[in-house]
Amino acid sequence: MNKVFFLSSALLGAAHATSYPLTLTDDLGRKVTLKAEPMRIVSFLPSDSETLCAIGGCGKLVGVDEYSDFPAQVTKLPKVGNLYQPNIEAVVALRPDIVIVSKYGDLIQPLTNAGITVVAVNPETYEEVFSKTIILGKIINREAQAKALVIQMRRDIAKVEILTKNAVKKPTAYYEIDPTPYTVGPNSFIGVLLTKAGAINIIPASLGDFPKISPELVVKSAPQFIFGMNLAAAKARPGWNTIPAVKLGRVVEDKALDQLLSRPGPRLPQALAGLAKVVHPELFK
Amino acid sequence: MSAAITVSRRLALISLPTLLLLAAALVTALLAVGLGSVPISPAETLQAIRHGLSGAELSGNDVIVWQLRLPRVALGFLVGAALAVSGGAFQAVFRNPLADPYLMGVASGAGLGATLVIALGLTTLWLPLFALSGALLSVFIALAIAREGGRLPPARLILAGVVVGSILTAFTTYLLLQSEDRIRQVFAFTLGNLAFAGWPQVGRLLPYVLIGGGVLLLLSKALNTLQLGDLTARSLGLPVERLRLLVIIAASLCTAGAVSYAGIIGFVGLVTPHLVRRLWGADYRVLLPVSAVAGGTLLVLSDLLARTLTRPAELPVGVVTTLLGGPFFLYLLRRQKT
Repeated sequence: MNKVFFLSSALLGAAHATSYPLTLTDDLGRKVTLKAEPMRIVSFLPSDSETLCAIGGCGKLVGVDEYSDFPAQVTKLPKVGNLYQPNIEAVVALRPDIVIVSKYGDLIQPLTNAGITVVAVNPETYEEVFSKTIILGKIINREAQAKALVIQMRRDIAKVEILTKNAVKKPTAYYEIDPTPYTVGPNSFIGVLLTKAGAINIIPASLGDFPKISPELVVKSAPQFIFGMNLAAAKARPGWNTIPAVKLGRVVEDKALDQLLSRPGPRLPQALAGLAKVVHPELFK
Repeated sequence: MSAAITVSRRLALISLPTLLLLAAALVTALLAVGLGSVPISPAETLQAIRHGLSGAELSGNDVIVWQLRLPRVALGFLVGAALAVSGGAFQAVFRNPLADPYLMGVASGAGLGATLVIALGLTTLWLPLFALSGALLSVFIALAIAREGGRLPPARLILAGVVVGSILTAFTTYLLLQSEDRIRQVFAFTLGNLAFAGWPQVGRLLPYVLIGGGVLLLLSKALNTLQLGDLTARSLGLPVERLRLLVIIAASLCTAGAVSYAGIIGFVGLVTPHLVRRLWGADYRVLLPVSAVAGGTLLVLSDLLARTLTRPAELPVGVVTTLLGGPFFLYLLRRQKT
């Protein structure tokens, strides 16, 4: 994706203003051409809605999916369902210049049939949060703002990282995304934040980004922190009362933090800071 | 006649297949306790079991062997046994080889119960209670609808069960679409999950299996008679309708208990009685107890593979039971033909 971006900016030769028509390859590998700067946008991804607003595109949003809830002004916009239960008629009625979707869900065909330009932009890895921000900036002619946002985000993240890098002890941690149990590998987007927060993820990278793991592994690894579940649930699991995190009551269920961590968007530094404060409270006194 | 059955039954139970099955059960249990996502030596495993039995304070690998692996094997065996016995009993009362433990909407009811817990955001501690209630509720609705006068005709029962099951599944799907971030959890339930088996769960499931399974074993002679057809069975003095009702309730109790602690595990209950029938014959007094051992072994083996093939990651156990049992079943089916 980065390559595509650099290539197109080199071809167009413009540093700030996007020149249209703009052709780019989206996350589904489709070539999409925008004839002019989009003025009416519908977003189907909460993280994309946040990014669009953070780079000065909030005024262009005319509709969002039902999960988009930040910043507050997007909650007043018409809702168009979600990726899996979209309200196509509602989207068409909003007469958008462009609809931003994920690579999941099957929105491309029905919207394209309705004559609407669709582009899939869904950040998944840590680095993609930044590269997709730039792409969104390019799409809506707010490239300078997008670059500024990325610089600001990287700066805020570095501030936390400088603190946690010097932490004397790095506690081990287990982050559960659902009680089946599925967890996050160190290279996943949440896994990267966990490491940057000064924790050591007990999950080996070889298992992939979102592996279903054996509870034996968690008991054996004896993590000092557990995220994504509550203490009562952890205690109820066979053998888990021997895990240091459970013994010391360091099982952290923070719905607000979990939600921040599930949004690969502009609030990434906030999510990291929240995580770091839990793992290293001594550094934030 | 009854003397002849007794002799052949004894012969069937001490045959070579029985000895092989018992050996397989023992070897599987030993392997399942010894192997897992965390490598633990046999000496350490034995020591852990000693520590566990003595009630000493457990630490390190002791915890894994005694509190995670052993109960997981025990629960797996109980669930497999419960499903296989219920499957055999359902096939007997419906005289239909395609009957399985989930026939009366048991699985759909349990699935809806589990989905409710997850969709309402309740703690998963409620899951067994809701799954059990859902399973039993669907069975009773199907029974009430299928009842025709004082009778329970098998064809009506199957139809009622299938439709009640479909309706409940539609509810489940609707609930899931309303809370799509939890789909994976419900999905995992529908593939079966033994990951969080502990001694308390084993203790709570045991009564269902003992009572439900016990009733079925006691009725096995009557099930044999039922194979002669409703008319003949009735003329031999068998209370066919009451028997059918009792078997359905006992088998559903067994299955519902298993589903509520291990999720929906496919194939064990359908395939095990067939395999047993091919090797031991169709006498239900042999078929049901042998199915229990075989079903338990099959599930423990499947779970062992589920947690070791990709360790320390895990596969859903239902996927393994189907991949293991399915081809074997097809092979037997094919061989029988030629």
